[in-house]
Amino acid sequence: MERARFEHLLDAYGADVARWPAAERAAGAAFAERHAVDLGAPVDEARSLDAMLNIVREPVADTAALAARVLAAAPVVRDNFDKRALWALAACAVFGVVLGYGGGVLAPTTDADDTLFVMAFEAPFVAPGEDG
Amino acid sequence: MFDPDAEYVRKAGAGDTRAAEALVRRHLPRMVGLARRMLNDGAEAEDVAQEVFLRVWREAPRWKPGAAKFDTWMHRVALNLCYDRLRRRREKADPDAGVHVADPAPLASEAWLASQRTAYVKAALDALPERQRAAIELVHFQDLTNIAAAETLEVSVEALESLLARGRRALKAALADVAHDLIGGADGVPRG
Repeated sequence: MERARFEHLLDAYGADVARWPAAERAAGAAFAERHAVDLGAPVDEARSLDAMLNIVREPVADTAALAARVLAAAPVVRDNFDKRALWALAACAVFGVVLGYGGGVLAPTTDADDTLFVMAFEAPFVAPGEDG
Repeated sequence: MFDPDAEYVRKAGAGDTRAAEALVRRHLPRMVGLARRMLNDGAEAEDVAQEVFLRVWREAPRWKPGAAKFDTWMHRVALNLCYDRLRRRREKADPDAGVHVADPAPLASEAWLASQRTAYVKAALDALPERQRAAIELVHFQDLTNIAAAETLEVSVEALESLLARGRRALKAALADVAHDLIGGADGVPRG
C-alpha cells in the first residue's frame, strides 16, 4: 500500500482498520506496523478523534416497551387465515349455487311431476272446517 | 448479494410473528441509537424508530430482495426521517438557542464531567453539515461497511470517503482545544 492511500483511508475511516474497506484492511494494518515510527502524528490524531467519538457511543436504553408497540403493528398470521377462510366460504357458496342450478336443469322431469305441481297450485283453497 | 434479513422479512410480511420479533430484536436498538445521535432527543428517536418499523411492516409483504440490503434500506428510511425532523427544527429555530456547555463547577463530579464531555462532542457533531454527519454516523457508530454506507446515502464510495474525511477534519478542528481533556477523561480506549 502506498503512503498516500494509507493516509487517505486514515482520514476517511479513522485509525481502526476494522472500519476500512474489507479489501484493504490487511494491507493497511501491515503498512501501519511497518511504518509505526514515521506515521506517528496522523495515526495518533485519528485515534484521538475515534476516542472522542466513542464518548457519545452510549448504549441504547431498554427498548422493551417500544418493541411491544412496534410489534403490535406487525402483520399477523390471523389476518391471512381470515382472508383464506373468507375465500373458502365464498367458493363454497358459489359451488352450492352452481350445483343446485345445474341439478335443476339437468335432472330429468316427468309429465306426472308437472301435473302434480300444477294441481298443487291450482286446487281450490279450503280452510280447515269449511269442508263440511 | 446475500441479505441476512431477507428470509425474516419475507416471513414477517406473511404474518410470522417470530420473524417480526427477530427483525425488531436485530434492528430496533440500532435504529433508536442512530436517531438519538442524529436528533439528540430520546422521545423523538423512539418516534423515528417506530415510524421506520411501520414502513417495514408495510413494505415487508412486497419486499423484493436484490435491489438493496434490507438493513441498508432501513438506515436510509431512518436517516430521511431524521433529516425531515432536523429540517422542521431549523424552520422554527430560536436563533438564540444553542448547545449550552456550562463552565466547570469548582467541585465537579465525575458524572458532571462525563456529561460535559458528551455535550462537547455532540455539539461538534451537530455543527457538521447533514451529509457529513450521516456518513460518520453510519460508518463510525452503526459500523456499516463502506459499500453499505455509500448505498444508504446513495453516493459512490469515493463520495462517501470525501464526506467522511471532511467531517472528521471539521470535528478535529472543533475539538482541538478540548481534545486532551476529553480523551484524558474518556473511559473508552481507542480501537485499532
